[in-house]
Amino acid sequence: MSFLTTLALLTSLFVAAPVAAHLLRRRRAGEQLFPGASLLSATPPRARRRSALEDRALFGVRALAVLALALLGATPFISCARLELLRKDGASVAMVLVVDDSLSMRALHTGSRETRFERARSAALELAAAMQPGDSIALVLAGDPPRVALAASSDRAAVGSALEALEPSDRATDLDGALRVASELLEALPHRDRRVVLLSDLADGAEGAPALELGGAVELWAPVPELASRSEVDCAVLHAELREGRVDLLTACSPGAEHGGRRLVLREGETILAEAPAGSRPGPSSLRLSKPVASTTELWLELEGDDAIDENDAAAVVESGTEPAIAIVSDAAANRVETGGAPVVEQALAALMLGERLRPLASLPDHAEELAPYAGIVFDDPPGFTPEERRALGSWLEKGGTALLGLGRRAAAAPLGAGFEGILPGVVRRAATEHRGAEPARCAFFGPSAAGLADLGLEQRGTLEHAALEGADVLCAFPDGEPLLVRRHLGRGTLFVVTLPFGVDDSDLPLRPAFLALLERFAEAARAGGGARRVDVGQSFSFPGHAKVEASLLPRRGAPIPMASNERDGVVRVAAPRAGRYRVTTSDGEELRVASVAARELDLRPRALAPSARNPELGGASTRVDASPYVAMLLLGLVALESALRLVASRTAARASAQHRGASSAAS
Amino acid sequence: MTRRVAETSRRRPFAPYEADWGAFAPLRLRARQVAEGVYAGQHRSARRGPGVEFGGQRPYVAGDDLRFLDRRALLRHDRLMVRQFETETDRSLWLVVDASLSMGWRGSGPGSKLGFACLLAAALARIATSGGDPVGLVLVGGSGRSLPAAAGREAFERIVWTLEAERPGGDLARDPKDLERALGTIHERARRGSIVVVLSDLLDLPEGSARVIAGLATRGRRAWAVQTLDPDEASFPYRQQARFRALEGDALVETDPEAARDAYLAALAALQARYEEELVARGGALVRAVTSDDPVAVLRRLLRSVGGGPGPA
Repeated sequence: MSFLTTLALLTSLFVAAPVAAHLLRRRRAGEQLFPGASLLSATPPRARRRSALEDRALFGVRALAVLALALLGATPFISCARLELLRKDGASVAMVLVVDDSLSMRALHTGSRETRFERARSAALELAAAMQPGDSIALVLAGDPPRVALAASSDRAAVGSALEALEPSDRATDLDGALRVASELLEALPHRDRRVVLLSDLADGAEGAPALELGGAVELWAPVPELASRSEVDCAVLHAELREGRVDLLTACSPGAEHGGRRLVLREGETILAEAPAGSRPGPSSLRLSKPVASTTELWLELEGDDAIDENDAAAVVESGTEPAIAIVSDAAANRVETGGAPVVEQALAALMLGERLRPLASLPDHAEELAPYAGIVFDDPPGFTPEERRALGSWLEKGGTALLGLGRRAAAAPLGAGFEGILPGVVRRAATEHRGAEPARCAFFGPSAAGLADLGLEQRGTLEHAALEGADVLCAFPDGEPLLVRRHLGRGTLFVVTLPFGVDDSDLPLRPAFLALLERFAEAARAGGGARRVDVGQSFSFPGHAKVEASLLPRRGAPIPMASNERDGVVRVAAPRAGRYRVTTSDGEELRVASVAARELDLRPRALAPSARNPELGGASTRVDASPYVAMLLLGLVALESALRLVASRTAARASAQHRGASSAAS
Repeated sequence: MTRRVAETSRRRPFAPYEADWGAFAPLRLRARQVAEGVYAGQHRSARRGPGVEFGGQRPYVAGDDLRFLDRRALLRHDRLMVRQFETETDRSLWLVVDASLSMGWRGSGPGSKLGFACLLAAALARIATSGGDPVGLVLVGGSGRSLPAAAGREAFERIVWTLEAERPGGDLARDPKDLERALGTIHERARRGSIVVVLSDLLDLPEGSARVIAGLATRGRRAWAVQTLDPDEASFPYRQQARFRALEGDALVETDPEAARDAYLAALAALQARYEEELVARGGALVRAVTSDDPVAVLRRLLRSVGGGPGPA
């Protein structure tokens, strides 16, 4: 604020002048002729107090007029914080507003009572309000999975209503995916000036990942830097299951945070059924029950106490059931670990605490029925499949199974007739390579952990024939284009193929964070495809074999919220945007399913951002607004109001005086 | 504590103004109606002394005329008694009407105090002249005119004409000698046995006026006072805070009527008591009246007091 602005605003102190004048005013009472005046005694002047009441409106108007005058003096210098886009050469702009609707955006915006999501949405509305003819705006949501909320549109009203309709969710964050979707949307637009506007707290659970940036002609702009705050921490109950005599639960906190001192409380509605101190460290634990508790839709386990986000402090408690398991087919002898114990992939899955039961299998069953209890199967360098195994596996995949296949030395040496034909066309080979690792830029699937794939210390890798890549997604590749990770859709099922085995003798892949990310994504896919009763928020409940499904979210407070279902790959699915209990009605009857908060969403540390995303030439949050005309109009109105008030007052006084004269016939 | 406003001490006195007769006009007709309502025919004299009709006895005192010594009573009771006689006499009536500025004021009454006082005075004159008694008139303040005592119809007409032409004026509070000068006429002209009736609000008169008015009852004269107040002066009904200014003198008081009412009424009662005390001591009385009163009733009270001897009316 400049000196002149300060000086102008200081003149508002003159508002004290009407106050002083009003207080000092000693209005004389009206005169009344009265012959017996000599017999009267004087009393304190009550009439002056009355006059103060009568003049209050006039006083208020005058004080407002002084303030308006001061404001009028200061308005040319007053700035109004409002996002504004700076255009290159005045050209129209194509923008994709990437609004983060993940759980972390529910935290309060620093220094205000507004949530991060509300701040992001208001910033988006300010940008939409500044749209000009020719501009185009699309809307992408960065909660996992990224979604297009509005395709590119030049209709300001459509953009505004789409933004107004946005609601925060409990999803995890997928900034890389959202930026990718945004870039793809912009590719189709003819504008020269194309930008992705990122309105996010950047907390995607990958603080150490490479900085977010966009290549090519599309510019990334993060205009609200204050959304990213490092100070908040949060803890949550991820899921809770009611077993006999206890509630098994899993808690998680932001990195470095603990929930010591807080209490775990089991409630049915507002009634407390059990409570116990929460341990200091987050993780799996149990809450003992002193009496039997029936499973109802009102049962919630709450972690009492304050933290950044309140919405994830309570988890719906459901009765434990038979969850689909994950099978691990690994040759214990071939994949032996020097330090002992289970194979590396099995240990890694156990370490992830995914909640699913793990079943090590020595060999793949020959019948599809035997595979039915499994939602996912991990194959660690299998020596090929017999025709019966292939048939059973193919059938299981067609019905919605998810498999992860690691190809190593033994897979490449599969005998003729015992290969992977049917599920992976062609022959798997193994060859030496000069590349020590994959190219992180081609491995967006792994998110921030892709950087660790650059050096895998490998000498040989598996190769697939072209037929195996037809219709498949290459999720990660080496610098020469050869795939490291491929996803194939087989019927309703999914097959992930890694061209490296899961042992540490052939590569460092199992030692990289990307390996855990891979297993986590695989487990998510298995859970979703296998009709799991519990999924992470953002994923979908799937209902293979059902044509019609009705689902509704049962919030902790309030009425059930109907959820829409959709069909993909021939399977009816219901997306779960919020954590909690979902009531689902199918042809088999009614059942309850649960969506849990993803643990990585509790990491509120912001991810690094390319410095160019803060380039002030793209726009800014400060623009000056000259409000002088409006203030002048206000001042004019106040002057008119004062005149009217004075007129009314003088007429009232004249009327009172006439009455007074009538009462006294004396004339001077 | 009375709060005076400094600048008003140099205030110019109010000029004389037309009286507000209100419901009391026309004076001549209204006076006749009132008089006919009060009294018809000749009245009997209250004076005892030489006459033709025995009026009783009293103990002899030194200086009594020995012609009236009752010898029979001396022989029978061995006491010196004198005989008294009632006689029909032409005793004169002197009307003193206050026409000062304050008398011209009208509050919620049907007319000004001066109008009411003039009505009472004219009615009294009518009654007196009807009985053949001479009536004199003295105006205090206003024009300051006076009419010698005279009997007959012409005297009544002259008095009414004088009253009708009167305008309120004069500030008796400024010059305490004005009242004494005006009443000097009574002292000079009123003979023994005369009755003096003073019609005034008694409000703005200078200090000691009660003694001056009561002093009229000397040398065989008797004096009554009729205090004519406006209803507002008698009850002080005001509610709004105001600066109350007297029409005579410099009194200017800013006060809250609600809070000051009781003190005012007490001061008014004290003033009336002071006049009453002085008048009763001289054989007269104070008659209280407000302009909204029935003038017939007021005159009856006055005449009852005059006929019944001294005492409060």
